[in-house]
Amino acid sequence: MRSFDRPAQWLLAVLLTALVAVPLAPILYQSVLSDRLYEPAKAFTLGNYALVLRNGEFWTTVTTTVIFVIATTALSVLLGITFAILLTRTDVPARGLLHDLVILPFYVSPLVLAFAWAILYGPSGFATIGARTLGLPTWQLYTVVGISVVSAVYYVPYSYLYATGSLALTDPQLEDAGRIAGAGPFRTLFSITLPLLRPAVAYGTLLTIVSAIELLSIPLVLGQPVGVEVLSTFLYATGTKSSPNDYGIVAAVSVMMLAVITVLVWLQIRVTGQERRFVTVGGKAIRGRVVALGRVRWLVAGMLWLYILAAVALPLLGIFAQSATSFLTPLVNPLELLTSENFTLIFTQPAYVDSIRNSLVISVVGGGIAVLFIAFAVLVTTRSDFPLRGALSYVALYPRAVPGIIIGIGFLWTLLLIPGLGEIRNTLVVLTLAFIVRFLPLGFGAVMPSVLRISTELDRAARVSGASWLTTMWAILVPLLRPALASAFVLLFVSFLKEYASALFLVAHGSEVIGTTMIELWRQGNSGPVAALSAIQLLITFFAIVIGQRVLGARLRG
Amino acid sequence: MAESVASRDVVIEGLVKVFEGGVRAVDDVSLTIPEGEFVTLLGPSGCGKTTTLNCVAGLERPDAGRIAVGTSVLTNVARGVILEPERRDLGMVFQSYALWPHMNVFDNLAFGLRRRKVPRAEIAPRIKATLELVELAGLDRRYPYQLSGGQQQRVALARAVVAQPRVLLLDEPLSNLDAKVRERARFWLRDLQRRLGITAIYVTHDQAEALAISDRIAVMSQGRVLQYAPPSDVYERPTSRFVAEFIGRSSFLRGVVVGATEGRMQVKLADSGTVVSAASTGARLAAGDPVVLAVRSERIDVHGEHASENVVSARIKSFVYAGAEYEYIFETPEGELRASSPRPVTGPTLKLHLPAEAIVVLADEAPTRG
Repeated sequence: MRSFDRPAQWLLAVLLTALVAVPLAPILYQSVLSDRLYEPAKAFTLGNYALVLRNGEFWTTVTTTVIFVIATTALSVLLGITFAILLTRTDVPARGLLHDLVILPFYVSPLVLAFAWAILYGPSGFATIGARTLGLPTWQLYTVVGISVVSAVYYVPYSYLYATGSLALTDPQLEDAGRIAGAGPFRTLFSITLPLLRPAVAYGTLLTIVSAIELLSIPLVLGQPVGVEVLSTFLYATGTKSSPNDYGIVAAVSVMMLAVITVLVWLQIRVTGQERRFVTVGGKAIRGRVVALGRVRWLVAGMLWLYILAAVALPLLGIFAQSATSFLTPLVNPLELLTSENFTLIFTQPAYVDSIRNSLVISVVGGGIAVLFIAFAVLVTTRSDFPLRGALSYVALYPRAVPGIIIGIGFLWTLLLIPGLGEIRNTLVVLTLAFIVRFLPLGFGAVMPSVLRISTELDRAARVSGASWLTTMWAILVPLLRPALASAFVLLFVSFLKEYASALFLVAHGSEVIGTTMIELWRQGNSGPVAALSAIQLLITFFAIVIGQRVLGARLRG
Repeated sequence: MAESVASRDVVIEGLVKVFEGGVRAVDDVSLTIPEGEFVTLLGPSGCGKTTTLNCVAGLERPDAGRIAVGTSVLTNVARGVILEPERRDLGMVFQSYALWPHMNVFDNLAFGLRRRKVPRAEIAPRIKATLELVELAGLDRRYPYQLSGGQQQRVALARAVVAQPRVLLLDEPLSNLDAKVRERARFWLRDLQRRLGITAIYVTHDQAEALAISDRIAVMSQGRVLQYAPPSDVYERPTSRFVAEFIGRSSFLRGVVVGATEGRMQVKLADSGTVVSAASTGARLAAGDPVVLAVRSERIDVHGEHASENVVSARIKSFVYAGAEYEYIFETPEGELRASSPRPVTGPTLKLHLPAEAIVVLADEAPTRG
């Protein structure tokens, strides 16, 4: 009997590579064309690059981007590491609750976080007006600094989670040995704990840099009104103009961004390799010891709660308050302005109802397809003798280097370029494909560790018992991976639900998703309906996580 | 507490550690470890030996008890004294070695010296001398990941002793080594401890290691010390069935005391009614008391046809060839007996002689089971 193993593996390899190539190929192609890629009269040229590099505005944007990325990364890594140390190595009260609240922004769309901060701290925000009324000094949220602070809050969970993960894996005897050698808790922290965190810090830093470069929403909401432009908002603004020149410029800038991010992602992989040096002989699995802070712990707890309230909890409460009032201001009791008209508007306009329905359909169906596809891809790259399995895992992880907005533009151009594909343009199918590409690396990262934990002897036992590779995967590996796949599904559901960047260039009337509708409403200045839609998205996310944990037994750790 | 503590004996009194969930990991442990001696805490996993060691190190906070080195009190729960680990002046070798991976060998050793404010000029010579002591001279610029397991283990030991601490604590330091290296490391570790004259507390679950290396062994089970004595005593004169079972290989026979005469005790075996005599162990037993006899496998004479007493007839049930000896399981009227012999025996039936000196009489702790 002929085995279907190899053909199935080839099919997956071709599909995966095609998916990743679809958004990239037309961008590379367009970047060296003199006219729009679907025009018949075009020539090869490097003029687009020359045009961009000679443009002073471009360099201003680059400078702003660099400042924004550095400020965001520095602040979020500093906070993330500090929180990780405090919440895993000291006796601060209510550590479990604080942990959940610190990582909360991870599950919130950055778009919603931007709205939330604007509603609370914007030029006419609740807190800003309140402070001004009380004669207190006020602040400017719509600046590079303001954008960086909000983005840092969004990225704190990244380095926090890497640091806590690393702290949990570090042999606690290393710290014990420091104490025995005569070092007090603080000396041990600075001489042993922190140096051992270096790989995690480096990894978290690079991840934050890569993510901040592509971040669109927060600069778009807080920067565009005052003309602060970063590369991602520049791409968005230029891409929507669509004159022949702009196609080339968008492509050239995209290619340059891709080049820079690719280098950073490559560095990230190198850092992971370096971690080997920090792996020591495994001892008994015991938790790291907790340092008693004495009375200082109340002060530390106070500062942590201050951060949580000011940066996360109050802004999100502001979203709910705004969604339920006609006008949110400290000058009038909000209870007198209570209204349901924001929600009424959302639920009576077909376009808005459609966007919620579309988001849910893509998150459930697309998320489900993505999990199965990703699981199969992980199994081929880690559990088969497929000749190209090594290269394939690089292909699957590469979209980490591709900004969401570039994925959207790339998909759009492919549809324009290849005749016949116009059929699926503006449908949920193309949105789902774009989202799958976007979150391939995330899903890969969620499933991979669980696969690696399963002994390969189980596969061998099945093969020796007469099962083909496909049967082995289906009958042995997939059932064992069920909890991991459930977690990955919840993670992808939440990610798909909050995705907007790759959708911006792919939606049309009838295929909007929540994120794109929110941006449209915000542009029109309707903060009430935006808040209502944000609240709806937050509630769906919340219930998805609760249901995921209770019903599917998913374990989310980010 | 009227004992004289002019020396630097380690004294542990009434130590108790209760973990969450109410498990008494250490349950009223009292031990005196004489200065300069090598004492081993031996027991199966979960017996409380590592927790006891960690209490001495200050890494665990006991719920009751007192720990002192000579006149200096490290822990006195009743008085609220629990010194931080860094203020105890101890050296410790961890099971994982816990070498700091971001520091080279020199810095791993220098860390503790700097913390103890050793003058800068003294640091390098002391590290050099210590590395020579552990036969690692010249490796001071290597990082831990560039060393073999055996070398890492010796660096860990060097780091523990370089600051000349009062007491050396060792938490299963040989358990990550290969069998061959481990046996050599025993001799080497014992030799080093004698040369330094340092008091050592050693934790292991390996009875052969404990017998080979210690001045005294504290056999622990379920948080308690069952016997605290030199290795030969623990082996020859176990005071409980647990100790007899845990150390060495023994068979157990049930019986009843029928009489005692000058250093001898007569016991009637439960199953066959045969009366055997055993060397008395001083346990307070009177005629009529139920007892268990522990018989060491290697002390049983498998060619016992000509002995005058303590002879049991047996059938070979199964045997394995173990190189240095043959190991047998015999079927006897008393139940199964394990015995070993350097030469094979001719079966299938034969007579076993159980020399009186090979038999330890223990009070029957669980009279309902054999």
